[in-house]
Amino acid sequence: MTAFHTLHILNKTPDHPRFSECLGTLGTDDALILTENGVLALATEINLKTSRIYALTPDVEARGMAGTTRNSILVDYPEMVDLTLQAQRVISW
Amino acid sequence: METLVIIDQPPYGSWTGREALDMAFALAAFDQTASLLFSGAGVNWLRNRQITDAIGQKSVEKNLSAAPVFGISAILADASACRRYGLGPQDLPDGVVLTEMDAKLLARYSHTVFAG
Repeated sequence: MTAFHTLHILNKTPDHPRFSECLGTLGTDDALILTENGVLALATEINLKTSRIYALTPDVEARGMAGTTRNSILVDYPEMVDLTLQAQRVISW
Repeated sequence: METLVIIDQPPYGSWTGREALDMAFALAAFDQTASLLFSGAGVNWLRNRQITDAIGQKSVEKNLSAAPVFGISAILADASACRRYGLGPQDLPDGVVLTEMDAKLLARYSHTVFAG
């Protein structure tokens, strides 16, 4: 895993206004981690605007999404902590 | 006199959906006719194989499977929301009816309430 500028922690569904606001501010050096209801975006065809997409495994499994993770990298809680340390800054949407 | 309870919030992120489900079950338990409609991100309630051990909550799949026991009249799902979230008819639990959430549907109910 390489270092990146901003880690966006997104826990909102695509139906929440903050979801679009988050995607609107994603930079090319940024990473996105989907948590809680945010993982539901993986069931849609929405363009997530970055190739560095992570998703939190417990939230993916809870929502019956284990077979629908698109091109995301599944991480557990300790790996999520590592991601926050690799980022220069973190935005919790 | 029939009540439609609409759940348009996804499971687990908040308690509003469960509260609405409890309300629908309570209505049905007291012989008030009640149906459920899942719309928007709420259709994600209907996914199968929800494994919730790691998030410390009970699966809403089990809650929902109790609907016939309580005497819920119908469980409806908005077809366009299902398409948006990649849910085909074969992905839905038995007994769920695909419909379009529109004025015509809502006109069939004397009371309509939303979760949250």
